[in-house]
Amino acid sequence: MSADAPDIRAEARQVRQAGAGTRAIPAERSGKGRGPARKDADSARVEGRVSPWQATALRVGAGIVLLAIWQVGAELFAPSYIATPIGAIGAIPGVLGDSSFWSSTGATLLAIVEGLAIAVVAGTIIGLAMGRLPDLNRILGMYVGAFYAIPLIAIVPLITVWFGYTPQARLAMIVLEAVLPIIYNVAEGSRQVSSVYLDVTRIHHVPWWRVWGGVVFPNATPYVLAGIDLALGRAVIGAVVAEYVTAINGLGYYIIFNVRSFPENQGVVALVVIVLFALAVRALVNLTVARVMPWYRPAKEA
Amino acid sequence: MSAVAGTPQRQPGRVRVRALAGYAFGLVLGAVVWQVVGYSTPQQVFVPLTTTLQRLGQLISSGELGSALWTSFQSYLVGLALALVVGAFAGILLARRRLLRVAFEPYVIALYATPMVGIIPFLLALLGFAFWPKVVVIFLFAFFPVLLNTQRGAQSIPPELLDVARVYRTKELGIWRHVIIPYTLPFLMTGVRQSLARGLVGMIASDFFLSADGLGSLLITSSERFDTAAMLAITLVITAIGLALIGIGRFLESRFARWRTA
Repeated sequence: MSADAPDIRAEARQVRQAGAGTRAIPAERSGKGRGPARKDADSARVEGRVSPWQATALRVGAGIVLLAIWQVGAELFAPSYIATPIGAIGAIPGVLGDSSFWSSTGATLLAIVEGLAIAVVAGTIIGLAMGRLPDLNRILGMYVGAFYAIPLIAIVPLITVWFGYTPQARLAMIVLEAVLPIIYNVAEGSRQVSSVYLDVTRIHHVPWWRVWGGVVFPNATPYVLAGIDLALGRAVIGAVVAEYVTAINGLGYYIIFNVRSFPENQGVVALVVIVLFALAVRALVNLTVARVMPWYRPAKEA
Repeated sequence: MSAVAGTPQRQPGRVRVRALAGYAFGLVLGAVVWQVVGYSTPQQVFVPLTTTLQRLGQLISSGELGSALWTSFQSYLVGLALALVVGAFAGILLARRRLLRVAFEPYVIALYATPMVGIIPFLLALLGFAFWPKVVVIFLFAFFPVLLNTQRGAQSIPPELLDVARVYRTKELGIWRHVIIPYTLPFLMTGVRQSLARGLVGMIASDFFLSADGLGSLLITSSERFDTAAMLAITLVITAIGLALIGIGRFLESRFARWRTA
């Protein structure tokens, strides 16, 4: 998104210069209009092309600046127990050697993967049915829409009443959070099957289950992946909030436990692990889309 | 939504009636299922719809719900307003200054992917139970959609428009005022729609852990008392708020979409 904007601009400029004389602006630019041309050179300096090396340097520099602001700010204004970048880096070996950290990480990440798997299967089936059966869509659609619209973490207290303070409560929360965007997207995708294909299946008297499996589902596959992309962020939030509330073993509880007992830096390491996991799954989804469906461009955030 | 691809619409009137009947049936079915499940399960697990509504009435008349709503919405509105102003400014700035964009974009994307609930314990340790930590959480939930959508909008301005402004030697401030902000507003509204919903998640989450009053803490205390009726009633209220906010977001977006060209 960022890289192609200036290219487009440069291209547009070339096109306009090629057709100079037909329009006033390029004529002025290529002619003696010093003002705009100087301004252009000026903006070329600011907006000019950045080589990959420069870009990396800029990014690293920006990261150092951000961390430095955090470090200095925490040292100047905050109590000494507040986490700092240097403290967090120092805490990494201790955290990695801590067996409770590994069991927490395993518990949370496995629960998210398991919940996502359940949500993908259930969400795809429900989504396909809702997309293909208008009556079912009318009945279920508003409930899916309503649950999609509300902050589902509001249900965490109810879920703890139903499931107790158990890992099942966390799993239920993850599935609930993750299933809605998948249903929503798959229903959308299976609604947008070209009627030409459906007409062909009708002519050949193809049974409905082969239409769903052979035409509708393949058409909806990119939407499943887009749904997973949206579901992941929600699943992580659901898992962490469930762990905060239920205090079951997991990364969310690891964070809250460490922060409450004041080795905050360990908590920062756990938070970074959650973020890295979320970014890794997102990258995996995008890579899968690029490999399997190179024609598809995901539309984010329905 | 009602126009389904492949569905022959020979009699639109009849299709419409059928659609309405479907929605009505869905609502009634939901209410009946709620009622039946409520009666056939223990009181701590689920209560019937009628009991929930009674409890909702009690919560309203006792003033508990009103004061909780007021507390929650104060931080919600402040957090959202801050996210809007700062997010829109930062988005345009990133779109206008390539160096800043190259430098900070990876961090923006990483922070956007960060589950902001993760930082709640740190804020609690730093700032305690108070108004401002809640505002910070809501701000962090709502900030990034505004920023990213504004940036996308400001980067998609046709270069012709900027060239014209440049021809007239418009200063950067004038370009912002007369070109960028008007062009970007519809994109900003898409960000606002997403932020309204995300901010609500932040509000409930911060209520859970950073507040002694407010909607979320009312939920937590109800769950500690096994007051399922109150929990369901509050969830119902939150659902209504969520739907209303989605409606407001869609309205704003479609209203400003009138002059959206891309």
